[in-house]
Amino acid sequence: MTDLQDAAIEPEDLQLDNTDPETSGSPEPLDDEQQARLLRVLKVAYPHPSFPDGPYQRTSAAVQQADADGVLADGLDALGDLDGLDDDAVTAALKAVEETPFFRLIHSTTVVALYDDHEVWQILGYEGSSFEKGGYLHRGFDDLDWLPDPRIEEYDGEPRLELVEKEA
Amino acid sequence: MASIAHDDPVVVIIGSGAGGGTMAYELTRNGVPCVVLEAGRFLTPDDYENDEWAAFGQMAWLDMRTTSGTWRVAKDFPNLPAWIVKAVGGSTTHWSGATPRIMAHEFKARTTYGAVDGANLLDWPITLDDLAPWYDKAEQAIGSTHRHGRPALPANNNYKVFANGAERVGYKYYATGPYGTNAEPYDGRPASIQDGFNFQGDKNTSKWSTAVREIPRALKTGKLDLRPECHAVRITHDSTGKVDGVEYLDAAGSLHKQAARVVCVAGNSIESPRLLLMSASSLHPDGLANSSGQVGRNYMRHMTGSAYARFDQPVRMYRGETMAGIIADEAKHDPNRGFAGGYYMETLSLGPAFLASFIEPGEWGRSFTEKMDAFLNTAGMWIVGEDMPQESNRITLDDEVKDAHGLPVPHVHFDDHPNDVAMREHGYAAADAIYGAVGSTGVHHTPPYPSTHNLGTCRMSEKPEDGVVDKWGKAHDVPNLFVSDGSVMTTGAAANPTLTIVALAMRQADHILQEMSTGQL
Ligand SMILES: Cc1cc2nc3c(=O)[nH]c(=O)nc-3n(C[C@H](O)[C@H](O)[C@H](O)COP(=O)(O)OP(=O)(O)OC[C@H]3O[C@@H](n4cnc5c(N)ncnc54)[C@H](O)[C@@H]3O)c2cc1C
Repeated sequence: MTDLQDAAIEPEDLQLDNTDPETSGSPEPLDDEQQARLLRVLKVAYPHPSFPDGPYQRTSAAVQQADADGVLADGLDALGDLDGLDDDAVTAALKAVEETPFFRLIHSTTVVALYDDHEVWQILGYEGSSFEKGGYLHRGFDDLDWLPDPRIEEYDGEPRLELVEKEA
Repeated sequence: MASIAHDDPVVVIIGSGAGGGTMAYELTRNGVPCVVLEAGRFLTPDDYENDEWAAFGQMAWLDMRTTSGTWRVAKDFPNLPAWIVKAVGGSTTHWSGATPRIMAHEFKARTTYGAVDGANLLDWPITLDDLAPWYDKAEQAIGSTHRHGRPALPANNNYKVFANGAERVGYKYYATGPYGTNAEPYDGRPASIQDGFNFQGDKNTSKWSTAVREIPRALKTGKLDLRPECHAVRITHDSTGKVDGVEYLDAAGSLHKQAARVVCVAGNSIESPRLLLMSASSLHPDGLANSSGQVGRNYMRHMTGSAYARFDQPVRMYRGETMAGIIADEAKHDPNRGFAGGYYMETLSLGPAFLASFIEPGEWGRSFTEKMDAFLNTAGMWIVGEDMPQESNRITLDDEVKDAHGLPVPHVHFDDHPNDVAMREHGYAAADAIYGAVGSTGVHHTPPYPSTHNLGTCRMSEKPEDGVVDKWGKAHDVPNLFVSDGSVMTTGAAANPTLTIVALAMRQADHILQEMSTGQL
């Protein structure tokens, strides 16, 4: 679970002055209906047909953990019941609140937490750290085969023209 | 390591990055005792994390900063104007390694470009000929590939796309370097194992940084007293106007003072002017060494932008060296293009974690997730060129926001100059052509990241009224105060700055040694 923990503590720390004591304090946990609505919001706002529920659920937990100012529950309540709405209608509802602290919290946390999730990395085709495996030197750093091998040395013809005259 | 008494007046260097780390090694290896005050921790390669956010949390400079201006960073990352490092080694732990030299005409920016509206252009007080021998030494220290007989790095996947595209559109001046990472063992450090994560410190130590070269070597001389987690807050001076000490806060927040014979400020272009401004006194009411009023002004961050191109087939851009690919054809001054100065294109790869935050900040919905879904088949490049110095782009002390110690945080104001905007558009079009030539199905134009290149806020000038330091980096106003980092750059030029910062620091150290031997310092 260390991914989740890392993701949860980092995003808001990057942009907020964490020396302010007023930003610490934990709001009431979300109820079941709010939890379900948050999950729907995440899936509609960050739609990936190839992602299972796991990464979205972990992101949901990260968003809740990052809600130091307690804007999440009210924001979800204000969206109202989403059950009868299709994805386009939910998108429109989110578009309307895009600039609110509620949606900013969701966005700033999700772009970090969802894409720092190792299950997501695997789905997207990212292998992450390689140092402990000897790097990518013998593991495909140059395995692209749909283009010819290019020159790696500098051009050895005439030197580069650095200063061009203005045309009349 | 030396242990130097607080009342022993020595050379005090503030910051241990490209400028400060180089200065520390050049002086200590010549027998001069130095104290280095470094705000960050002493991390070693064993500590480095090959994970983008974990490494960022570990070493990025996250102290509060505020912003204003028309640049997009002020909206998307209002408290993170710069992406730089707070650790021993400074931002050289993060840097990727591109090491072009500044071109001859770029040292004469005002003369070459003429008057540009709104730009505070000035010729450097030195020329390429003055710096050339120091560039040679800096390339040897850094171990730049393609230079002084060192071999090229091989082509990784991202470079294959980039270089083939370059060739097809008719560019000639592309290569996998010059790049500050070993293609073969050099200088006691191993060859690259193409493990990526240059930005995260490089655990393999194939990449040069002052954390793996200059600082450990300076410590071995027995002349360096390295004090990590010590944040300089004020430089003091005596009644004759010479600086005589540096006050700093240690990890526990206690205030100390180190006596100084010479002070070298190398805290990068936001913290260096902040420190000078915080060191105002009755003799220097507008900040130390600020009779010109130029301290903090002319802040430059390079014209930058990125292009991420999608293909029908896999690229896996993240495998291998992050930035081992440069196209130099557009690094020229060609007034027929409608803007002054030029730019380089360089390969760049971000993992999904960073890409999601930076590819199009603020975007969500399917247009955003489509970009992320294409990760495997994406190639990336960075565009980096000269930006115009403007007096109003500046670092000031924020009157309202204080840091954990109650000190004013730095405020960074930046407006793009129309020249920067025109150059960026040209660069995006060049990227479209390059990737289009090898079959891209779409290229996304990513706006500038928080600044990795921070320059110009204590600029060098011939005349004291035009800048803060002279051609040696010595303050015009104070005989034993030097600025030793990228803030001395008179103009930004197109080249990535670190090679120049190192060359300037080596040259400055040589000058300090000479002045010490003749009793002038
Ligand atoms: C991701 C990334 C990639 C990069 N890639 C390249 C590249 O390919 N090529 C290139 O040329 N450049 C590159 N750079 C830029 C390069 O890292 C910087 O230009 C260079 O390190 C700046 O040197 P400096 O000495 O001015 O400052 P830094 O290297 O940042 O060092 C400043 C040091 O001073 C310390 N400090 C600041 N204030 C205080 C204080 N008050 N008291 C004590 N210590 C203090 C800081 O903690 C820091 O360690 C890159 C940067 C980043 C972030």
